[in-house]
Amino acid sequence: MDKNRPSEQWLSSLRERFPCEPEVDRFLSRKLNNRAGPGYTPVPLEALCAGIEKLLDSKLNTAFEIDAARWLTGGASKLQMAFDLKWHPHDAESVTTPMVLRMQPAESIVESSRLREFQLINAFQDHVPVPSVYWVDDEGEYLPYPALIYGLVDGVTKPKTGVGGEVSGMGTNYGARLRSLLAPQFVDYLARIHTHNWREANLSAFEVPTLGTLAAERQLNWWARVAAEDALADIPLLTLAAQWLRAELPTLDRISIVHGDYRCGNFLFNEQSGEITAWLDWELGHLGDRHEDLAWCTARTWGHRDENGGAELICGLMREEDFLHAYEQASGLSVNQQTLRYYKVLNTWKLSVMSLFTSYRAPAGGKTHQDVLVAWCLGVGAKFTEQLGEILEEVI
Amino acid sequence: MDLRAPLQLQSMIKSMSDVVLPAIDPDNSLAQEQAQLVLGMMHLMASRLPMQFSYDIDQLTRYVSLAREILAHGEGGQRTKEELALLNTSVDNGAQALQGAQTSPADLEAAVLTLRARISALIETLWSDGEPTCRETISKAVLAASKEQILRERAWFAPQGWDADMSNYPSIESLIDYKKVASESDT
Repeated sequence: MDKNRPSEQWLSSLRERFPCEPEVDRFLSRKLNNRAGPGYTPVPLEALCAGIEKLLDSKLNTAFEIDAARWLTGGASKLQMAFDLKWHPHDAESVTTPMVLRMQPAESIVESSRLREFQLINAFQDHVPVPSVYWVDDEGEYLPYPALIYGLVDGVTKPKTGVGGEVSGMGTNYGARLRSLLAPQFVDYLARIHTHNWREANLSAFEVPTLGTLAAERQLNWWARVAAEDALADIPLLTLAAQWLRAELPTLDRISIVHGDYRCGNFLFNEQSGEITAWLDWELGHLGDRHEDLAWCTARTWGHRDENGGAELICGLMREEDFLHAYEQASGLSVNQQTLRYYKVLNTWKLSVMSLFTSYRAPAGGKTHQDVLVAWCLGVGAKFTEQLGEILEEVI
Repeated sequence: MDLRAPLQLQSMIKSMSDVVLPAIDPDNSLAQEQAQLVLGMMHLMASRLPMQFSYDIDQLTRYVSLAREILAHGEGGQRTKEELALLNTSVDNGAQALQGAQTSPADLEAAVLTLRARISALIETLWSDGEPTCRETISKAVLAASKEQILRERAWFAPQGWDADMSNYPSIESLIDYKKVASESDT
């Protein structure tokens, strides 16, 4: 089986083996259908501006102007360009709005749906700080690849100055002052996301799971399919983890919106006031089990020890037990330790799949705008499998 | 460990061609020239690295052959005899190295990947079709073996700086001493 030239028959067998949400199936199938095609070719800023112009021509009835286009860095997954849009929103007087174009490359370390990201950000306008989201080009009809456009939000993802202490290679050390300001907001916004009335939002790109094991099974199938599609060769530890995960599917007690990547580095904040200004990176979001987010942000990967070298701070903000207690208080929802442990295994396995399998396949095909960065991420895979092995030793 | 030299080179070449070179000041001729040379060197490595083993085998074969011819005809005084004896030893060592080099790096990598995939496939099959009683033993064996492999991988990638402190990990040199590993597995 040549995974770089996938056959129709192989794609059908994957879809049958790993039933996923329809939208997940759609974007994973699109990835495989395009795999034998060309890699990512550089798109100059001018070409992106021309694509945005075509998109906006189809959406706006009034004149507009695109200005000050420039690249943004950060993240290994999507290509981002900032620009200023002079336009007349709702036929109002001319205003200039700083915007961000977020476009996926030919293949990405995380394959996902721009439509889902668009709908989720929209669902939280006025509930949680998120960017204003304006337009989506879900099929890459106007731009070279699928993309969305949202408002540029001021803020930083990590302090620019003056933080001491041990810093984990992956985590962020905010320092004591910012930590005390950010931690309560971190808890509060997660509680708001999980208790949000998703039935009132337009989430047409999402499947609503039934109460039972379907939510966990859908996540397992999603990433088992990615593993099958992208691995150079399977790895016994990851296969063992997948068997355990399938045998131990937890029961969903309440359907919540799950952010999917709720952690340090994925929110912007004002360094002076310590106010969180926007939650970003909603591409892994879905309807499912709140424990998935709880397990994600309490993963050792994103944390570090406090300045005295003592307590482990989750996401560099607070101790895990304090976080879970505060979350229960803020959300009114309970935390089931067994379900939390299940999702710790699932999340660590998922990170291993991304870093060991997709981080190989995407740059090997020359599919991204930053292959050298994606390939570099292969090196972090052992850190995730080390944690996966440790958790599995506790449960097997 | 799938971050091997060919993938590293391929991704570096793309980065240099697509992003770095176009951004270099066209008036900075020294930087332009050196960036082009870096790219050229990477292309040379990418195309020749897979053949390096074959190249070395070919070189050694030819030197052993030439040395044997010289040994067959070389005659002279004491100093010549001493040099011939030294050369004879080197020929024996070279011939021994050739005899041991029956498996290429590509063959080794292919064998690793095949075993990885076959063990994984068997685990999957055992969980659906195997005797439940053997699963615990096999799980423990996989976890124990993975621990050793992960330790080696962590040490290998330590220079990337994913951790602030790697002082508790052994050096990569101590973990992949293949002669020691082979002798331990023999006993």
